[in-house]
Amino acid sequence: MNKTVFVTGVGIISGLGYGRGATMDALREHRTAIGKIRYLGTSHDLPVSEVPYSNEDMMDMLNIHHDTIMTRTALIGKLALKEAMEDASLNPAEQHTVFISGTTVGGMDKSEQFYLDFLSNDNHKEYIKTHDCGTCSEMIAEQYQGFEMITTLSTACSSAANAIQIGMELIQSGRCDAAVVGGSECITKFHLNGFNTLMILDKEQCRPFDQTRAGINLGEGAGYLVIESEDSVKRRDVKPLCVLSSCANRCDAFHQTASSPNGEGAFLAMTDALREAGLQASDIDYVNAHGTGTQGNDLSEGNALMRVFGDNMPPVASIKSYIGHTTSAAGGVEGVISVLALLENYMPINLNYRNKIEEHSFEPLHQEIIPQKLEHIMSNSFGFGGNDTVCIFSKIKEDKI
Amino acid sequence: MENLIKELKEEIIKTLNLEEVRPEDIDENAPLFGEGLGLDSIDALELIVLMEKNYGIKLQDPNQGKEIFKSIVTMAEYVQKNRTK
Amino acid sequence: MNIYIKSCAQISVQEPLCDKWFTEPIKHEAPYVRALDPDYKPFINPVAARRMGLILKRAMATSITALKEAGIEMPDAIVTATGLGCIENTEKFLKALSEQGENCLQPTFFINSTHNTIGSYIAVQMKCHGYNNTHVHRGISFESALLDAFVKIKLEKLNNALVGAHDEMTPDYFTLLNRVGFWNGGFAGETAVSMVLAKEGDIRIAGVEILYMPEKQKLIDAVNGLCAENNIGVNDIDLLVTGRNNDDDNNKAYNEFEDLFNLRDKSESYKNIFGESFTASAYGIYYAYECLKKGINPKGKNVKNVLIYNHYENKDHSLILLTC
Repeated sequence: MNKTVFVTGVGIISGLGYGRGATMDALREHRTAIGKIRYLGTSHDLPVSEVPYSNEDMMDMLNIHHDTIMTRTALIGKLALKEAMEDASLNPAEQHTVFISGTTVGGMDKSEQFYLDFLSNDNHKEYIKTHDCGTCSEMIAEQYQGFEMITTLSTACSSAANAIQIGMELIQSGRCDAAVVGGSECITKFHLNGFNTLMILDKEQCRPFDQTRAGINLGEGAGYLVIESEDSVKRRDVKPLCVLSSCANRCDAFHQTASSPNGEGAFLAMTDALREAGLQASDIDYVNAHGTGTQGNDLSEGNALMRVFGDNMPPVASIKSYIGHTTSAAGGVEGVISVLALLENYMPINLNYRNKIEEHSFEPLHQEIIPQKLEHIMSNSFGFGGNDTVCIFSKIKEDKI
Repeated sequence: MENLIKELKEEIIKTLNLEEVRPEDIDENAPLFGEGLGLDSIDALELIVLMEKNYGIKLQDPNQGKEIFKSIVTMAEYVQKNRTK
Repeated sequence: MNIYIKSCAQISVQEPLCDKWFTEPIKHEAPYVRALDPDYKPFINPVAARRMGLILKRAMATSITALKEAGIEMPDAIVTATGLGCIENTEKFLKALSEQGENCLQPTFFINSTHNTIGSYIAVQMKCHGYNNTHVHRGISFESALLDAFVKIKLEKLNNALVGAHDEMTPDYFTLLNRVGFWNGGFAGETAVSMVLAKEGDIRIAGVEILYMPEKQKLIDAVNGLCAENNIGVNDIDLLVTGRNNDDDNNKAYNEFEDLFNLRDKSESYKNIFGESFTASAYGIYYAYECLKKGINPKGKNVKNVLIYNHYENKDHSLILLTC
């Protein structure tokens, strides 16, 4: 049996604001962050969920000089990382600690702003070096000394979940004691327009798992989790928040952008995650669904959920109706929310739901209920190319620590 | 109409990068999707862009494409009726 | 449990899909050289090929070749490394966005711009439902992917894995990176290397270590640790493969490393043969693999234990020990 991996700290920033408190307050008040675009310089009028701070605001919050070479994804990531590190009281230099982050945008916000300059002159050449995803991770981590390894995953909308998975594996194999894992992503014109060419951006607020759903609202944010081995938790004498029971990835291998109708990849990832966690489907008390609000994803994901859970469907909800689709950061942001849901014994509901999807046997959770028991939460993150990752978070059993 | 059909064939080959296909290989009455040329959903999105770029026709719903892009002939008829440039 | 590199295939600025470079390397003088492409028809059907850029075609060709050589039809996993992903399509979309604005942009360029397009394309073509991940960390992207597959096999989550390194270089991106001195040390190349990791084979991966900004002692400990785990001494290493090029700044770390372990006489480079790219280090491992397979280095000296040391901007460092 693999070693237990604990979550000992979380950090989050999204359209709902900065920090655990702001996030859970909004979820409990059913308050969405999706609204008009404030910061992104685009000609499109599409609803999004932006982090409610300008780059300068965030530089002030981080005590960074306004002239510093810095991208928005890095700034958002730095804030989430800061909260996670403080929450876990973690000094990376005191044990073998790694930082694994997921992003696809990297420094694209600056590249799209200065691309024609890059081609013709040296005016903004310092941002050529901040374009790639790896540099973004190192910028996020630079205020901390002592990470023994930093690496970056990019699998589109499952990137952060895959970062969690790699961190967990490095701990289980004994290669490190602690890992800070998750992802960060700001909205860019590049991917807003990209999704727009795919005609999957909803002009209204997104309606995950609704028959009339018409697509995604993009969001931005970052979420990081500090995960540790049992030995490390004991040695540091910290109180863990919960257990990261498993993390599994599979590929739908169906089409570059479309999901298979029966959700094969999602089904395989969910069943792998259950097996690796040593759980039955009936043990899952809540599913934080990927639920983007597109016709394709929600149909496919729901079909996969029906294959996994049959007639005993646990409450299923997508919080993309609050924070939009935070793309590569989604697995981190929603992983943190899953941890908070466990801690607070609260199941976030799915907003904007009215009509059941014809092909589905279940409705998403759209009215608050007090959970009978909330011990295991499954969190789904699916990306382009059928990259399907599933994490399971569990409450700590009394006999453990 | 004949000129428009020829033009559409050439544009489709160029836009969709159908390297091995010549305009005369495309039967203007044959289905573009599934059988026939064997195009898929991504190609449909490319054709929507082509309609806007070349003929000023804006399609709001990708499902509209299903009828319009049935064959080169249906496409040409739609363009002739709705073009703004 | 032992883990082996069972097969390896490359497309590069050398003759593609073969090891002719070992005896007759093509010398390149130009600052920017594109890879030499084989005929892709045997690997990709023309309908699928219509939306594929060169990076995807190369990834398919090297993957199919490596799997065939390993005698594996369907891998348990596809683990991909890329520094910049499908930069040609990214550029096309970015350029259209910058020049023509936010209308009439083409979806294909966006769809093919994400980093994991490569790994997912291979999976879709092969119908491979196994583990699929893409590592994108600067100059250690490949080592990161290799470590992932290595650890997963160790944890018995996989029996084998297809691990690839893929980067393309466009004329525009060459110009951009030239502005920030990326090519100071040598010529720009393109990377396409695929290898199959399995539980049996001849060339064993004796260890993989990635270190971020290590102090000298950490490097010493890591090398000694790798050797101790495999019951060899540092003096048993008969070939050191490094990412040395013509840039003094880059070479400083290699000089120190060679002096530290007294390996200067045993040190060889691969960037003079294959060029520079974010995932060029995959050619270092490939170079070592070919030497071990043949039992000799290109100069004819016997080779049994090879250490590959690579760093990127003196921040990200990696050590890989291969033995046979």
